[in-house]
Amino acid sequence: MFHWLEKRPFFFAVGVFLVIAFAGLIEILPNFAEASRPVEGLRPYTVLELAGKEVYKKDNCIACHSQLIRPFKAETDRYGQYSLSGEYAYDRPFLWGSKRTGPDLHRVGNYRTTDWHENHMWEPSSVVPGSIMPAYKHQFKNIADLETAYAEAVTVKNVFNVPYGDDIKPGKAAWEAYKPKVLAEAKKIAADMKNKDVKDAVAAGKVPEVVALIAYLNSLGSSRYEAKK
Amino acid sequence: MNALVIKALAFAAILIVATLIVVKQMHIDLSDPINAITMLGAVAIATLAFGVSAKYIAQMKTDKAQGELAEENWDGIGEYKNELPSGWAYSFLGTLIWALWYWTVGYPVNAFSQIGQYNEEVKAYNKKFEAMHKNADKETLKQMGESIFLVQCAPCHGTTGDGLSGKAQDFTSRMTKAQVLHVINNGQHQLDFPMGAMPPGMASGKDAEDIAAWIAGGMKGEKPAAFAACASCHGADGKGNNGMAPNLTEYDVTLVSHVLEHGKKGIIGRMPSFKTRMTPVQEKALAEYIQSLKD
Repeated sequence: MFHWLEKRPFFFAVGVFLVIAFAGLIEILPNFAEASRPVEGLRPYTVLELAGKEVYKKDNCIACHSQLIRPFKAETDRYGQYSLSGEYAYDRPFLWGSKRTGPDLHRVGNYRTTDWHENHMWEPSSVVPGSIMPAYKHQFKNIADLETAYAEAVTVKNVFNVPYGDDIKPGKAAWEAYKPKVLAEAKKIAADMKNKDVKDAVAAGKVPEVVALIAYLNSLGSSRYEAKK
Repeated sequence: MNALVIKALAFAAILIVATLIVVKQMHIDLSDPINAITMLGAVAIATLAFGVSAKYIAQMKTDKAQGELAEENWDGIGEYKNELPSGWAYSFLGTLIWALWYWTVGYPVNAFSQIGQYNEEVKAYNKKFEAMHKNADKETLKQMGESIFLVQCAPCHGTTGDGLSGKAQDFTSRMTKAQVLHVINNGQHQLDFPMGAMPPGMASGKDAEDIAAWIAGGMKGEKPAAFAACASCHGADGKGNNGMAPNLTEYDVTLVSHVLEHGKKGIIGRMPSFKTRMTPVQEKALAEYIQSLKD
């Protein structure tokens, strides 16, 4: 049989491919299926948090901040429980990052609050002396794109079966009906903030980027699966 | 003995002698068992390398091609049919059987988990840590507290613990007048002390003002009469009745650990809970350090 294969390089190549592909499949697939399952009780991001995630991407937070806590004592002491793959189940794409110029943010919602983020995004060195992070004052003025975030929620619900409620569905009318919920969430965050422009904008039905970003940062951590308790 | 074997032995001898010279020059003690075994290994390598080379060089000189040719050949270069050596074949079969066992029983039943090992090691380490610092003295605790404070607390409370001009609790003093008034007017139920929730409005008007000013002033001077309402839970000296209610005069271990456990939303803002992020010893150390920040 092997002499037959040795005489036929093409089939030999096919055979090699099949063997390696099979080994790869049984090695990778079971682990992959296990790892991509959400951890128990994990809820998907709300529309406001998705809008904040877009701000996070747009202002390139990932260039300096990671979202992956490795199982090392030094990291868990500082950032908390190491990351589990199931926690990224609704991250599309995940924002692990690869460089820590600043600290890891995967559980920042566990140990920072809205008021701290407000001070920090306005002027980082006012709360962290010596911080080299630039100020993100424009986020207090620019308005977050909630419609795109809503569209993202609709898309991942329909394509990947992300468990959103029935009220998230395609169409302008559905968005208009859903919008008050997003604004209510934004109002809750703005209530903990001091900036007058932000408060005014939210009261007028517009959500500045910083509010969405804070909603997203507060959602990072265990609150997204402990809220059920 | 032919010339080839003599040459091989000569090369091996040269190599061994060279090794010995190096050993001598570097003052390596061959009576040490590890060094002796290593030297033995070096001798074996030298002998085997030249011995095996001599064998194959001799074989190349005399060997003739023989055996049954396989059907295929590439540009006239053929290949003999070589049967698999039986030892090789049996061990291959053995690995197949082992793989079946490992796949069905070996791995699933006795799965090693890297993360499990990590968790166990951390648990063991924390236990050791707790035991080691069970009776740590004040100075050790203060130093430990400082390093924890700089990582966990400083981003909000500032590296000096002054609360960054009102952005967080100022640890150089206990409470400001505004804070005391806020608690008197709104009550306090977040810290889960044994005394239970403090209802709003225990004092009002001028009484509340007097109490607030007195507490904010470090409880010096004449005690306002209205403080009796506070004293029933917080104690006549305001020290919290041995952990039954929050201590109003300083950040003691009980107060610090209750705030770390439950977090707190006050007039300044919200502090999140730091539950499970610190061991009891670390909480004690933190309290020790925070107390040392007092002016």
